Amino acid sequence: MSRIWLKWMPAVAVPAVIAVGVLAVPLQAGATVDLPDKSPQDVLELAAGSTVDTFSGTLEQTSDLGLPEIPSTGDAAAAEFSDALDLLTGSHTVRVYQNGADQSRVQVQDTMSERNLIQNGSDLWLYDSADNTAAHTTLPAAGEQSAEKPGETYTPSDLAEKFLADVSPSTEVTLAENTQVAGRTAYELVLTPNTDDTLVGSVSIAVDSETGLPLRVQVDARNADEPAISVAFTTLSLDAPPADLFAFTPPAGATVTEETLPTKDDAGHPEGEASGVTVTGAGWDAVVVIPAGEDAAALAELTASPLYSQLTDAVDGGRALSTTLVSVLIADDGRVFAGSVPVQRLQAAAAQE
Amino acid sequence: MSDKTFSDSVSASVAMAPAETARPGGAWALLVSELTVLFRRRRTWALLLALAAVPVLIAVAVRLSSQAPTTGRGPPFLDQVTQNGLFVAVTGLIVSIPLFLPLTVGVVAGDTIAGEAGLGTLRYLLAAPAGRVWLLVVKYIGAAVFCLAATFTVVTAGVLAGLALFPVGPLTLLSGDTISLAESFLRAVLIAGYVTVSLLGLSAIGLFFSTLTVVPVGAMAATIVLSVVAQVLDSLPQLDWLHPWLFSHYWLDFADLLRQPIDFTSFGTNALLQGGYLLVFGALAYGRFVTKDILS
Repeated sequence: MSRIWLKWMPAVAVPAVIAVGVLAVPLQAGATVDLPDKSPQDVLELAAGSTVDTFSGTLEQTSDLGLPEIPSTGDAAAAEFSDALDLLTGSHTVRVYQNGADQSRVQVQDTMSERNLIQNGSDLWLYDSADNTAAHTTLPAAGEQSAEKPGETYTPSDLAEKFLADVSPSTEVTLAENTQVAGRTAYELVLTPNTDDTLVGSVSIAVDSETGLPLRVQVDARNADEPAISVAFTTLSLDAPPADLFAFTPPAGATVTEETLPTKDDAGHPEGEASGVTVTGAGWDAVVVIPAGEDAAALAELTASPLYSQLTDAVDGGRALSTTLVSVLIADDGRVFAGSVPVQRLQAAAAQE
Repeated sequence: MSDKTFSDSVSASVAMAPAETARPGGAWALLVSELTVLFRRRRTWALLLALAAVPVLIAVAVRLSSQAPTTGRGPPFLDQVTQNGLFVAVTGLIVSIPLFLPLTVGVVAGDTIAGEAGLGTLRYLLAAPAGRVWLLVVKYIGAAVFCLAATFTVVTAGVLAGLALFPVGPLTLLSGDTISLAESFLRAVLIAGYVTVSLLGLSAIGLFFSTLTVVPVGAMAATIVLSVVAQVLDSLPQLDWLHPWLFSHYWLDFADLLRQPIDFTSFGTNALLQGGYLLVFGALAYGRFVTKDILS
């Protein structure tokens, strides 16, 4: 009998060893990280002073906004609509290659396809393998670009101070326990709103203890257990990526389109002045108001989609889309209200005006 | 009663003479004979022929059809087939992975031990001084070699059909980069390797089921049904906590080998998962097989 028992031992021991291994790995990753003590301002300075512009890494992005699952089959309009929502639901793996300021490549990996954004000097390519299309634009020369930037220059500590001063009335900035992201040690800044009126619970940013590069950004919603949005490196290397990654020529057979970047003159709403978009309130509980008639065509197209009635609920004064992080109220008179606030606050704002 | 004493004497002789050390020649002879028997069977060739027919049918259908396949309809990469025949192999694999490959692997893996037991030849195999553990290992190696043969059959048939019916040239990867023909063949071999590794977990499950019964059809059916059940569970979003643990979860992720630079992350994850299944079900099969009374 005991010999039979011995022979079944491996069948018991192997799953047990695997279970222990599976449980031990996350525990090890969550072990406390010993780093020199810093104040939130020190960490902000570290992040602002980061000079890393050459790296390659893999980003894992997950969103859990409490939206219903979007059915993947449907008519073309629904498919287009769900494409737009695609980044708000589910998770994505993104590979990022950056070489200096003017060479970068971003690859969004889908199951059997991939979307690529490649910048090489002034050339910008967008390639989508799902429909084999490539779009090319020429970026304005570097000199032109920098002329648009504000003339003032800030030192890292100026930037840190300015940021703290800007956010301090509405936000508490603290440091959480040191953490580990992509095998690197990091300080974790936590921004907590001081108001109860917002849906945002907190925003945490993990800052690499060595280089100051942000390694993870996570937005927690007030009423959800899982992070609403999380973008984190899973692997990161600070070596220069191979140069031939940035030399892109569209593959044979691809549909290539040439597009021009909208300049300031022909952009529809320069600096939001002419547009009627207004923001009421400041800080976390601000509400964005788009008056009726603004982008009416886009709104009509949106409301005609069969998904519209699936995603929104009828409420007093219109239809509301509520997620764990953002609420949108499309009033019956065509105005649109949006903000990181409960729907009730949007209704109140709609009633006020 | 006489069967009982016979099996007892077999296990006694096995315990006394572990053949791997005592007679390595005999042990290797068992492996060679297993592989010879496997690839001499008409059934094995019928399974491989059926697998080879999948990419050939796809290629012929696309070639004969007057309209080019439209983007976004049918299996992935189908629209690329007319531009580059090498995609016949990839499309053939994608079509075969959910059912045809698990089906053939289930037949071979489910037959390993139960088939011998059903024919009454198992005790003669064990009478050879090789030992039950080695027999189990030999049977598993046989199933794994069949996985390799099955996958390479689909890829080779796909490449040949593509060469015959469509233009073949530098290959466009998912990232939009183009690679030379030589590197395309290397990627095809890597993909075949990925799919072979993907099927190792299922083979181990089939081997375990095969030790439970003397009716080979039962073990085959159980293995195939389990592979379908795993894929159904994998498609339910409510069970997403379970998905990374299903042996079928990474089956279609070989697309990562078609990116530039090549991404081996899913290859590693998949190999780890399949290794886990191999260990767990290998240990279960060991427990069952060495404690089993061999009556036939």
